Amino acid sequence: MPIASSLLNKPKLVNKLRKFYDYVQKNDGKVGTKTRGIDLNFNNACNLRCKYCFTNSPKGDHVKEYLDLGAIKKLADEADELGYFEFDLQGGELLLQPDKLFSVLEAIKPERFYLYLTTNGFYLDEKMAKKLAEYKVSRVSVSIDSMDEKIHDEIRGRKESWRRAIEGLKHVKNAGMDPYLNITVGHYNANTEHFKQLLDYSKNENYKTLLNVAVPSGMWQKMTDIICDDKDREYLRKIRKEYKNLVRNIWNPFDRNHEKILGCTTVNRLYVTPIGDVLVCPYVHIKIGNIFESSLKEIVDYGFSIKYFRNHSDLCLAGEDKEFIKNFMTKSGQTIFKPALAKDIFSKEDFVK
Amino acid sequence: MNNKEKYKGIFIKSLSIDEKKFSENLKYNEIAEWDSIGHMTLMSGLEEGFSISMETDDIVDFSSYKKGIDILKKYKVF
Repeated sequence: MPIASSLLNKPKLVNKLRKFYDYVQKNDGKVGTKTRGIDLNFNNACNLRCKYCFTNSPKGDHVKEYLDLGAIKKLADEADELGYFEFDLQGGELLLQPDKLFSVLEAIKPERFYLYLTTNGFYLDEKMAKKLAEYKVSRVSVSIDSMDEKIHDEIRGRKESWRRAIEGLKHVKNAGMDPYLNITVGHYNANTEHFKQLLDYSKNENYKTLLNVAVPSGMWQKMTDIICDDKDREYLRKIRKEYKNLVRNIWNPFDRNHEKILGCTTVNRLYVTPIGDVLVCPYVHIKIGNIFESSLKEIVDYGFSIKYFRNHSDLCLAGEDKEFIKNFMTKSGQTIFKPALAKDIFSKEDFVK
Repeated sequence: MNNKEKYKGIFIKSLSIDEKKFSENLKYNEIAEWDSIGHMTLMSGLEEGFSISMETDDIVDFSSYKKGIDILKKYKVF
Protein backbone atom coordinates (compact mmCIF):
# COMPACT_ATOMS: atom_id res chain seq x y z
CA MET A 1 0.00 0.00 0.00
CA PRO A 2 -0.59 2.32 -1.63
CA ILE A 3 -1.08 0.31 -4.79
CA ALA A 4 -1.52 2.14 -8.08
CA SER A 5 -4.57 0.05 -8.94
CA SER A 6 -6.36 0.89 -5.70
CA LEU A 7 -9.60 2.84 -5.69
CA LEU A 8 -7.95 5.27 -3.29
CA ASN A 9 -5.55 6.31 -6.05
CA LYS A 10 -8.38 6.99 -8.47
CA PRO A 11 -10.31 10.09 -7.33
CA LYS A 12 -12.12 10.44 -10.64
CA LEU A 13 -13.42 6.90 -10.24
CA VAL A 14 -14.53 7.65 -6.68
CA ASN A 15 -16.56 10.59 -8.00
CA LYS A 16 -18.27 8.50 -10.65
CA LEU A 17 -18.91 5.62 -8.26
CA ARG A 18 -20.44 8.05 -5.81
CA LYS A 19 -22.75 9.50 -8.46
CA PHE A 20 -23.78 5.97 -9.39
CA TYR A 21 -24.45 5.18 -5.74
CA ASP A 22 -26.53 8.35 -5.28
CA TYR A 23 -28.56 7.60 -8.40
CA VAL A 24 -29.28 4.04 -7.28
CA GLN A 25 -30.27 5.16 -3.78
CA LYS A 26 -32.69 7.74 -5.16
CA ASN A 27 -34.06 5.17 -7.58
CA ASP A 28 -35.18 2.71 -4.90
CA GLY A 29 -32.01 0.62 -5.21
CA LYS A 30 -32.50 0.06 -8.94
CA VAL A 31 -30.06 0.76 -11.78
CA GLY A 32 -32.64 2.48 -14.02
CA THR A 33 -30.89 4.09 -16.98
CA LYS A 34 -27.66 4.94 -15.19
CA THR A 35 -24.50 4.19 -17.13
CA ARG A 36 -22.31 1.62 -15.45
CA GLY A 37 -19.76 -0.27 -17.54
CA ILE A 38 -18.21 -1.11 -20.87
CA ASP A 39 -17.36 -4.73 -21.65
CA LEU A 40 -14.74 -4.60 -24.37
CA ASN A 41 -13.65 -7.50 -26.53
CA PHE A 42 -10.95 -5.93 -28.72
CA ASN A 43 -9.83 -9.29 -30.14
CA ASN A 44 -11.48 -12.70 -30.03
CA ALA A 45 -8.43 -15.02 -30.22
CA CYS A 46 -8.07 -17.53 -27.37
CA ASN A 47 -5.72 -20.30 -26.30
CA LEU A 48 -8.48 -22.48 -24.84
CA ARG A 49 -11.47 -24.27 -26.37
CA CYS A 50 -14.16 -23.87 -23.73
CA LYS A 51 -17.35 -25.79 -24.39
CA TYR A 52 -19.67 -22.94 -23.48
CA CYS A 53 -17.84 -19.96 -24.99
CA PHE A 54 -20.36 -17.21 -25.76
CA THR A 55 -18.09 -15.52 -28.34
CA ASN A 56 -17.56 -18.63 -30.51
CA SER A 57 -13.82 -18.15 -30.15
CA PRO A 58 -13.15 -21.94 -30.34
CA LYS A 59 -14.68 -21.85 -33.81
CA GLY A 60 -12.15 -19.19 -34.81
CA ASP A 61 -14.83 -16.55 -35.26
CA HIS A 62 -13.19 -13.23 -36.28
CA VAL A 63 -10.02 -14.01 -34.32
CA LYS A 64 -7.79 -11.93 -36.60
CA GLU A 65 -9.63 -8.66 -36.21
CA TYR A 66 -8.58 -6.01 -33.70
CA LEU A 67 -10.41 -2.91 -32.63
CA ASP A 68 -7.97 -0.10 -33.34
CA LEU A 69 -6.39 1.90 -30.56
CA GLY A 70 -7.77 5.24 -31.77
CA ALA A 71 -11.30 3.87 -31.60
CA ILE A 72 -10.67 2.43 -28.13
CA LYS A 73 -9.32 5.76 -26.88
CA LYS A 74 -12.36 7.61 -28.25
CA LEU A 75 -14.69 5.02 -26.73
CA ALA A 76 -13.03 5.35 -23.31
CA ASP A 77 -13.16 9.16 -23.44
CA GLU A 78 -16.85 9.13 -24.33
CA ALA A 79 -17.58 6.49 -21.68
CA ASP A 80 -15.83 8.58 -19.05
CA GLU A 81 -17.85 11.66 -20.09
CA LEU A 82 -21.08 9.68 -19.76
CA GLY A 83 -20.20 8.53 -16.26
CA TYR A 84 -19.29 4.92 -17.01
CA PHE A 85 -17.07 3.82 -14.16
CA GLU A 86 -16.34 0.17 -15.00
CA PHE A 87 -14.28 -1.08 -17.91
CA ASP A 88 -14.17 -4.85 -18.29
CA LEU A 89 -11.66 -6.16 -20.80
CA GLN A 90 -12.43 -9.62 -22.04
CA GLY A 91 -11.80 -11.78 -25.06
CA GLY A 92 -10.83 -14.13 -26.42
CA GLU A 93 -7.93 -14.36 -24.04
CA LEU A 94 -6.30 -11.05 -23.19
CA LEU A 95 -3.02 -12.40 -21.83
CA LEU A 96 -2.30 -14.26 -25.04
CA GLN A 97 -1.04 -10.99 -26.53
CA PRO A 98 0.30 -8.92 -23.63
CA ASP A 99 1.85 -6.17 -25.78
CA LYS A 100 -1.49 -5.49 -27.40
CA LEU A 101 -3.21 -5.58 -24.02
CA PHE A 102 -0.86 -3.00 -22.50
CA SER A 103 -1.32 -0.69 -25.50
CA VAL A 104 -5.08 -0.95 -24.99
CA LEU A 105 -4.69 -0.16 -21.29
CA GLU A 106 -2.67 2.95 -22.16
CA ALA A 107 -5.41 4.04 -24.57
CA ILE A 108 -8.15 3.58 -21.97
CA LYS A 109 -6.29 5.34 -19.13
CA PRO A 110 -7.28 3.03 -16.26
CA GLU A 111 -6.82 5.75 -13.63
CA ARG A 112 -10.35 6.94 -14.39
CA PHE A 113 -12.10 3.55 -14.30
CA TYR A 114 -12.56 0.49 -12.12
CA LEU A 115 -10.77 -1.45 -14.81
CA TYR A 116 -10.71 -5.20 -14.77
CA LEU A 117 -9.77 -8.16 -16.88
CA THR A 118 -11.67 -11.37 -17.33
CA THR A 119 -9.18 -14.11 -18.14
CA ASN A 120 -8.81 -17.88 -18.13
CA GLY A 121 -5.63 -17.35 -16.10
CA PHE A 122 -3.43 -19.61 -18.18
CA TYR A 123 -0.73 -16.96 -18.64
CA LEU A 124 -1.29 -15.17 -15.34
CA ASP A 125 2.05 -15.59 -13.61
CA GLU A 126 3.55 -13.45 -10.86
CA LYS A 127 5.34 -11.10 -13.24
CA MET A 128 2.20 -10.52 -15.28
CA ALA A 129 0.10 -9.84 -12.17
CA LYS A 130 2.59 -7.26 -10.92
CA LYS A 131 2.66 -5.53 -14.30
CA LEU A 132 -1.14 -5.41 -14.46
CA ALA A 133 -1.21 -3.76 -11.03
CA GLU A 134 1.38 -1.22 -12.20
CA TYR A 135 -0.91 -0.45 -15.12
CA LYS A 136 -3.64 0.38 -12.60
CA VAL A 137 -5.81 -2.66 -13.26
CA SER A 138 -8.13 -2.82 -10.23
CA ARG A 139 -9.40 -6.36 -10.48
CA VAL A 140 -8.74 -9.61 -12.30
CA SER A 141 -11.52 -12.16 -12.71
CA VAL A 142 -10.50 -15.74 -13.38
CA SER A 143 -13.07 -18.31 -14.45
CA ILE A 144 -13.03 -21.67 -12.67
CA ASP A 145 -15.47 -24.43 -13.61
CA SER A 146 -14.72 -27.02 -10.95
CA MET A 147 -12.46 -27.78 -8.03
CA ASP A 148 -11.78 -31.06 -9.80
CA GLU A 149 -8.80 -30.31 -12.02
CA LYS A 150 -9.76 -32.94 -14.59
CA ILE A 151 -13.29 -31.61 -15.03
CA HIS A 152 -12.10 -28.02 -15.43
CA ASP A 153 -9.41 -29.01 -17.94
CA GLU A 154 -11.86 -31.08 -19.94
CA ILE A 155 -14.35 -28.21 -20.17
CA ARG A 156 -11.52 -25.84 -21.12
CA GLY A 157 -9.99 -28.21 -23.65
CA ARG A 158 -6.44 -27.98 -22.32
CA LYS A 159 -4.42 -29.65 -19.58
CA GLU A 160 -2.88 -27.44 -16.88
CA SER A 161 -5.71 -24.90 -17.27
CA TRP A 162 -7.03 -25.43 -13.74
CA ARG A 163 -3.67 -25.37 -11.99
CA ARG A 164 -2.54 -22.24 -13.76
CA ALA A 165 -5.85 -20.46 -13.16
CA ILE A 166 -5.78 -21.26 -9.45
CA GLU A 167 -2.16 -20.06 -9.22
CA GLY A 168 -3.08 -16.96 -11.21
CA LEU A 169 -5.68 -15.90 -8.65
CA LYS A 170 -3.07 -16.09 -5.90
CA HIS A 171 -0.78 -13.82 -7.92
CA VAL A 172 -3.63 -11.32 -8.36
CA LYS A 173 -4.17 -11.17 -4.61
CA ASN A 174 -0.46 -10.84 -3.86
CA ALA A 175 -0.13 -8.03 -6.40
CA GLY A 176 -2.81 -6.04 -4.51
CA MET A 177 -5.61 -6.20 -7.06
CA ASP A 178 -9.12 -7.50 -6.31
CA PRO A 179 -9.20 -11.27 -7.01
CA TYR A 180 -12.51 -12.52 -8.38
CA LEU A 181 -13.28 -16.17 -8.96
CA ASN A 182 -15.89 -16.39 -11.73
CA ILE A 183 -18.35 -19.27 -11.68
CA THR A 184 -21.02 -20.03 -14.24
CA VAL A 185 -24.13 -21.31 -12.52
CA GLY A 186 -27.00 -23.02 -14.29
CA HIS A 187 -29.73 -25.54 -13.64
CA TYR A 188 -27.15 -28.31 -14.12
CA ASN A 189 -24.94 -27.33 -11.17
CA ALA A 190 -26.87 -25.01 -8.81
CA ASN A 191 -27.26 -26.47 -5.33
CA THR A 192 -24.73 -29.25 -5.94
CA GLU A 193 -21.73 -30.23 -3.86
CA HIS A 194 -19.61 -29.54 -6.90
CA PHE A 195 -20.75 -25.90 -6.99
CA LYS A 196 -20.46 -25.52 -3.22
CA GLN A 197 -16.82 -26.59 -3.33
CA LEU A 198 -16.09 -23.63 -5.62
CA LEU A 199 -17.95 -21.22 -3.35
CA ASP A 200 -16.13 -22.49 -0.27
CA TYR A 201 -12.73 -22.32 -1.91
CA SER A 202 -13.25 -18.71 -3.00
CA LYS A 203 -14.49 -17.67 0.42
CA ASN A 204 -11.66 -19.43 2.24
CA GLU A 205 -9.10 -17.73 0.01
CA ASN A 206 -10.72 -14.34 0.72
CA TYR A 207 -11.68 -13.79 -2.91
CA LYS A 208 -14.88 -12.34 -4.28
CA THR A 209 -17.03 -14.76 -6.28
CA LEU A 210 -18.71 -13.49 -9.41
CA LEU A 211 -21.70 -15.62 -10.37
CA ASN A 212 -22.64 -15.57 -14.03
CA VAL A 213 -25.85 -17.41 -14.77
CA ALA A 214 -25.59 -19.85 -17.66
CA VAL A 215 -26.90 -18.23 -20.80
CA PRO A 216 -28.21 -19.99 -23.91
CA SER A 217 -26.08 -18.03 -26.37
CA GLY A 218 -22.87 -18.57 -28.32
CA MET A 219 -21.88 -22.26 -28.24
CA TRP A 220 -24.83 -22.93 -25.89
CA GLN A 221 -27.49 -21.26 -28.02
CA LYS A 222 -30.81 -23.13 -27.83
CA MET A 223 -29.68 -25.16 -24.77
CA THR A 224 -32.58 -23.93 -22.68
CA ASP A 225 -32.24 -26.75 -20.14
CA ILE A 226 -29.26 -24.93 -18.61
CA ILE A 227 -31.43 -21.98 -17.48
CA CYS A 228 -31.84 -21.50 -13.73
CA ASP A 229 -35.40 -22.13 -12.52
CA ASP A 230 -37.25 -20.65 -9.53
CA LYS A 231 -35.75 -23.18 -7.12
CA ASP A 232 -32.24 -22.41 -8.36
CA ARG A 233 -32.90 -18.70 -7.91
CA GLU A 234 -34.15 -19.30 -4.39
CA TYR A 235 -30.91 -21.15 -3.69
CA LEU A 236 -28.86 -18.24 -5.08
CA ARG A 237 -30.74 -15.82 -2.83
CA LYS A 238 -29.98 -18.04 0.14
CA ILE A 239 -26.26 -18.34 -0.52
CA ARG A 240 -26.00 -14.60 -1.21
CA LYS A 241 -26.83 -13.99 2.44
CA GLU A 242 -24.80 -16.93 3.68
CA TYR A 243 -21.50 -16.31 1.90
CA LYS A 244 -21.48 -12.48 1.68
CA ASN A 245 -18.60 -12.48 -0.83
CA LEU A 246 -20.87 -13.25 -3.78
CA VAL A 247 -21.43 -10.79 -6.60
CA ARG A 248 -23.95 -10.84 -9.41
CA ASN A 249 -24.26 -7.92 -11.78
CA ILE A 250 -28.02 -7.96 -11.22
CA TRP A 251 -27.65 -7.61 -7.43
CA ASN A 252 -27.30 -4.29 -5.68
CA PRO A 253 -23.64 -4.28 -4.57
CA PHE A 254 -24.23 -1.61 -1.92
CA ASP A 255 -26.95 -3.46 -0.05
CA ARG A 256 -25.59 -4.33 3.35
CA ASN A 257 -28.33 -6.90 3.87
CA HIS A 258 -27.46 -8.75 0.67
CA GLU A 259 -31.05 -8.76 -0.58
CA LYS A 260 -31.76 -5.95 -3.03
CA ILE A 261 -31.89 -6.35 -6.79
CA LEU A 262 -30.26 -3.66 -8.93
CA GLY A 263 -31.92 -5.02 -12.06
CA CYS A 264 -30.76 -6.39 -15.38
CA THR A 265 -28.00 -4.13 -16.67
CA THR A 266 -28.50 -4.41 -20.41
CA VAL A 267 -27.33 -1.10 -21.98
CA ASN A 268 -26.15 0.04 -18.53
CA ARG A 269 -23.26 -2.30 -19.32
CA LEU A 270 -22.58 -2.34 -23.03
CA TYR A 271 -20.59 -4.90 -24.96
CA VAL A 272 -18.28 -3.71 -27.75
CA THR A 273 -16.94 -6.23 -30.26
CA PRO A 274 -13.65 -6.22 -32.22
CA ILE A 275 -15.47 -4.74 -35.23
CA GLY A 276 -16.96 -1.90 -33.18
CA ASP A 277 -20.48 -3.25 -32.91
CA VAL A 278 -22.27 -2.35 -29.72
CA LEU A 279 -24.49 -5.05 -28.20
CA VAL A 280 -26.78 -4.50 -25.23
CA CYS A 281 -24.72 -6.89 -23.09
CA PRO A 282 -22.17 -9.66 -23.72
CA TYR A 283 -24.85 -12.34 -23.78
CA VAL A 284 -27.76 -10.68 -25.58
CA HIS A 285 -26.57 -10.55 -29.16
CA ILE A 286 -28.66 -7.64 -30.30
CA LYS A 287 -26.88 -4.72 -31.94
CA ILE A 288 -27.84 -1.16 -31.10
CA GLY A 289 -25.06 0.65 -32.97
CA ASN A 290 -21.43 0.78 -34.04
CA ILE A 291 -18.81 3.05 -32.53
CA PHE A 292 -17.46 3.96 -35.99
CA GLU A 293 -20.87 5.25 -37.05
CA SER A 294 -22.39 6.93 -33.99
CA SER A 295 -21.35 8.55 -30.75
CA LEU A 296 -21.62 6.47 -27.59
CA LYS A 297 -24.33 8.79 -26.29
CA GLU A 298 -26.46 8.27 -29.42
CA ILE A 299 -26.06 4.51 -29.06
CA VAL A 300 -26.95 4.54 -25.35
CA ASP A 301 -30.01 6.75 -25.95
CA TYR A 302 -31.17 4.42 -28.70
CA GLY A 303 -30.63 1.37 -26.49
CA PHE A 304 -32.68 2.85 -23.67
CA SER A 305 -35.47 3.74 -26.11
CA ILE A 306 -36.25 0.00 -26.24
CA LYS A 307 -38.63 -0.91 -23.42
CA TYR A 308 -36.97 -4.21 -22.53
CA PHE A 309 -33.73 -2.42 -21.71
CA ARG A 310 -35.23 0.74 -20.25
CA ASN A 311 -37.66 -0.94 -17.87
CA HIS A 312 -36.53 -2.61 -14.69
CA SER A 313 -36.22 -6.38 -14.72
CA ASP A 314 -35.56 -8.49 -11.63
CA LEU A 315 -34.39 -11.24 -13.95
CA CYS A 316 -31.30 -11.37 -16.11
CA LEU A 317 -32.89 -11.10 -19.56
CA ALA A 318 -30.24 -13.31 -21.18
CA GLY A 319 -30.08 -16.04 -18.57
CA GLU A 320 -33.39 -16.08 -16.71
CA ASP A 321 -36.20 -14.47 -18.69
CA LYS A 322 -37.45 -17.38 -20.78
CA GLU A 323 -39.92 -15.25 -22.73
CA PHE A 324 -37.23 -12.75 -23.73
CA ILE A 325 -34.85 -15.59 -24.64
CA LYS A 326 -37.47 -17.30 -26.79
CA ASN A 327 -38.46 -14.13 -28.60
CA PHE A 328 -35.11 -12.43 -29.11
CA MET A 329 -32.17 -14.79 -28.60
CA THR A 330 -32.93 -17.86 -30.65
CA LYS A 331 -32.47 -16.50 -34.18
CA SER A 332 -30.42 -19.04 -36.11
CA GLY A 333 -26.77 -17.98 -36.40
CA GLN A 334 -27.14 -15.10 -33.93
CA THR A 335 -23.64 -14.44 -32.53
CA ILE A 336 -21.60 -11.49 -31.33
CA PHE A 337 -20.42 -11.04 -34.91
CA LYS A 338 -23.82 -11.66 -36.50
CA PRO A 339 -26.10 -10.03 -33.97
CA ALA A 340 -29.77 -9.41 -34.56
CA LEU A 341 -30.39 -5.75 -35.33
CA ALA A 342 -32.56 -3.95 -32.80
CA LYS A 343 -34.42 -2.14 -35.58
CA ASP A 344 -35.41 -5.48 -37.14
CA ILE A 345 -36.06 -7.66 -34.15
CA PHE A 346 -38.23 -5.23 -32.18
CA SER A 347 -41.61 -3.91 -33.26
CA LYS A 348 -42.78 -0.29 -33.10
CA GLU A 349 -44.54 -1.00 -29.80
CA ASP A 350 -41.27 -2.11 -28.24
CA PHE A 351 -39.85 1.40 -28.48
CA VAL A 352 -40.57 4.03 -25.83
CA LYS A 353 -41.86 7.29 -27.27
CA MET B 1 -24.29 3.82 22.25
CA ASN B 2 -21.54 6.41 21.78
CA ASN B 3 -20.17 7.40 18.39
CA LYS B 4 -17.07 5.22 18.71
CA GLU B 5 -19.25 2.14 19.18
CA LYS B 6 -21.52 3.28 16.38
CA TYR B 7 -18.48 3.76 14.12
CA LYS B 8 -17.27 0.24 14.83
CA GLY B 9 -20.77 -1.15 14.24
CA ILE B 10 -21.00 0.56 10.85
CA PHE B 11 -17.65 -0.98 9.87
CA ILE B 12 -18.78 -4.47 10.80
CA LYS B 13 -22.17 -4.15 9.12
CA SER B 14 -20.99 -2.33 5.98
CA LEU B 15 -18.12 -4.67 5.27
CA SER B 16 -20.11 -7.74 6.33
CA ILE B 17 -17.33 -8.99 8.57
CA ASP B 18 -17.53 -11.15 11.68
CA GLU B 19 -16.97 -9.26 14.91
CA LYS B 20 -14.06 -11.64 15.56
CA LYS B 21 -12.37 -10.46 12.38
CA PHE B 22 -12.66 -6.81 13.41
CA SER B 23 -9.59 -4.95 14.58
CA GLU B 24 -8.78 -1.27 15.03
CA ASN B 25 -5.82 -1.91 12.72
CA LEU B 26 -8.06 -2.63 9.72
CA LYS B 27 -6.75 -1.10 6.49
CA TYR B 28 -8.25 -0.74 3.03
CA ASN B 29 -7.62 -3.77 0.81
CA GLU B 30 -6.04 -5.80 3.60
CA ILE B 31 -9.16 -7.91 3.94
CA ALA B 32 -11.25 -9.11 0.99
CA GLU B 33 -14.37 -7.40 2.32
CA TRP B 34 -12.78 -3.94 2.22
CA ASP B 35 -12.33 -3.70 -1.54
CA SER B 36 -13.55 -0.99 -3.90
CA ILE B 37 -17.25 -1.78 -3.60
CA GLY B 38 -16.87 -2.45 0.13
CA HIS B 39 -15.27 0.98 0.47
CA MET B 40 -18.20 2.77 -1.14
CA THR B 41 -20.67 0.74 0.94
CA LEU B 42 -18.74 1.72 4.05
CA MET B 43 -18.68 5.40 3.07
CA SER B 44 -22.42 5.38 2.45
CA GLY B 45 -22.97 3.58 5.76
CA LEU B 46 -21.03 6.30 7.57
CA GLU B 47 -22.86 9.07 5.73
CA GLU B 48 -26.23 7.58 6.61
CA GLY B 49 -25.26 6.63 10.14
CA PHE B 50 -23.88 10.03 11.07
CA SER B 51 -26.04 12.17 8.73
CA ILE B 52 -23.04 13.69 6.99
CA SER B 53 -21.91 14.13 3.39
CA MET B 54 -18.24 13.43 2.85
CA GLU B 55 -16.02 15.18 0.32
CA THR B 56 -14.36 13.07 -2.38
CA ASP B 57 -10.88 13.89 -1.05
CA ASP B 58 -11.88 12.45 2.32
CA ILE B 59 -13.30 9.30 0.73
CA VAL B 60 -9.98 8.85 -1.08
CA ASP B 61 -7.96 9.48 2.08
CA PHE B 62 -10.03 7.06 4.16
CA SER B 63 -7.42 4.28 4.06
CA SER B 64 -7.81 2.71 7.51
CA TYR B 65 -10.07 2.47 10.54
CA LYS B 66 -7.80 4.82 12.48
CA LYS B 67 -7.45 7.31 9.63
CA GLY B 68 -11.23 7.34 9.40
CA ILE B 69 -11.48 8.60 12.97
CA ASP B 70 -9.25 11.57 12.09
CA ILE B 71 -11.30 12.32 8.99
CA LEU B 72 -14.61 12.12 10.83
CA LYS B 73 -13.41 14.69 13.35
CA LYS B 74 -13.76 17.19 10.51
CA TYR B 75 -17.46 16.30 10.39
CA LYS B 76 -17.74 16.61 14.17
CA VAL B 77 -18.50 12.90 14.60
CA PHE B 78 -15.65 12.65 17.13
